[in-house]
Amino acid sequence: MRISDVAAGRAGDKGDVLDLTLVAYDDEGYRTLVHRVRARDVEQWLAHVAPSPVVRYELPNVRALKFVASRALAGGVYRSLHAGMHWQKAAIWLLLDKELPDA
Amino acid sequence: MEPAVEMARSGSVDFVGLECLAERTLVTGLIERAADPAKGYDRRLERRLGPLLPAAVANRCGIVTNLGSANPHAAGERIAAMCKANGLSGITVAMLGGDDLSGSLDDVVWEGDPLEEGGRWLGAHAYLGVEGMAEAFREGASIVVTGRVADSSLFAAPAIAALDLDAEALAGALTAGHLLECGGQLTGGNLAATKGRQLDAHDLANLGYPTATIERDGSFVLGVLDGKPARLDLVSTTLQLLYEVHDPRLYHTPDLTLDFGNLLLEEVGENRVRVSGARGAGRPESLKAIGFVKRPGEVADVEITYAGEGAIDRAMVARDVLRERVESLGLHDYAVDLVGIDSVLGAVAHLAPGYAPPELRVHISARCTEAEEAQAVEDEVYALTLSGPAGGASLRSERRPHVSVVSGRVARSSVNVSVERLVS
Repeated sequence: MRISDVAAGRAGDKGDVLDLTLVAYDDEGYRTLVHRVRARDVEQWLAHVAPSPVVRYELPNVRALKFVASRALAGGVYRSLHAGMHWQKAAIWLLLDKELPDA
Repeated sequence: MEPAVEMARSGSVDFVGLECLAERTLVTGLIERAADPAKGYDRRLERRLGPLLPAAVANRCGIVTNLGSANPHAAGERIAAMCKANGLSGITVAMLGGDDLSGSLDDVVWEGDPLEEGGRWLGAHAYLGVEGMAEAFREGASIVVTGRVADSSLFAAPAIAALDLDAEALAGALTAGHLLECGGQLTGGNLAATKGRQLDAHDLANLGYPTATIERDGSFVLGVLDGKPARLDLVSTTLQLLYEVHDPRLYHTPDLTLDFGNLLLEEVGENRVRVSGARGAGRPESLKAIGFVKRPGEVADVEITYAGEGAIDRAMVARDVLRERVESLGLHDYAVDLVGIDSVLGAVAHLAPGYAPPELRVHISARCTEAEEAQAVEDEVYALTLSGPAGGASLRSERRPHVSVVSGRVARSSVNVSVERLVS
């Protein structure tokens, strides 16, 4: 099962910070995310394109997890050597496409 | 502009907000203002407000917007002139000032050394809150134009003025502002969801933008105008609630730190979501500041396409040729990507065997210390058309300045919020 089977998502950024939101479709999905998608998993998935420490926040009231990578976009949009600007708008697929890790 | 004009015409909306200033959009305004003191407001101001002003005035709908960018004063003068030219007289336009920190850069506590690597300031701004905007509406302004203010405050200000909200309800109004600030991103745009309503191209082309009906207790109901296509549900609302919010229990706005940890979202009808339980967690003592620093040199962005049989093999050869040539120029701060394979999300571990896209673009971005170096990179890509693999085509080249965004905090006492008024 992939993350996109249990959650919707969106990527955002401010300055150097990349933030990734996952919202579970139901309570069971939220429990699955909490148990199986840890900060260190996300850190590993980002490592080849946006290496950074990752902090996870849990929001059970809205069944959401946030992953905040504080140094992923060092220097911001202008400084990036990616083709075109704002590559990070697509960064949520670094999570959504992944198989859910084992708990 | 249609969503705003439709809202104004509907007669059911008291205020429309136009949020047009991304983090780095101010750079354009700063450069234009430096060249001409009457410029520096958003270039789209005329195009956006042209159709909106008559509809808003006819329906007694207020407007709040940050189209003032680097020059709210000039923007206000332009808007008053547009009102007059449209035969709309007696309209009060208020311009919010005080966000510009270019005269008080030393009052800001910057993260790191903003001027490292030979940088020079383009400008800096504080994120202002509802102060000034709310007063302007209370005192009868129909249009409030600002530069840098927090987006959530921009949308909350008219509600605070109209409802005379207390401190408790302020958290709700700011939360509503935060949810509205990205328009269609609340109502189904930029939504990566495999479940729930899927909007088709026609829906997205005519997407309903969100409205918030705010109560005195700060709770509110999000909706869209009747009949507009949208996906406004728990998923879309939660994605926007948390968008670019780092710690959801400590979301700092200039007016209040917000805690979303107890927020309650309820679907109360088709494309209607009720939001309650927003809480404040204190008022920040200082304001966020953001500055732009120009550093020497520029980034060269150059692309070339390979198409037809074996495009992928030729593109990979071109990439390797470019790497070798650019290294020989003594450049090491660059990236060569294949657009269509690895230019966005990075290296692909395994391409499917036999994967043969009909065309691919090879893209190089190189950070260059001077313009001549950027030209040399461009020349290397052009040389591929003659000396590289067969069929290099459809070239395109751009240069970007080295502009860094720097962040800091500034004491409220160093920021003087001001309001100017003009009557058309």
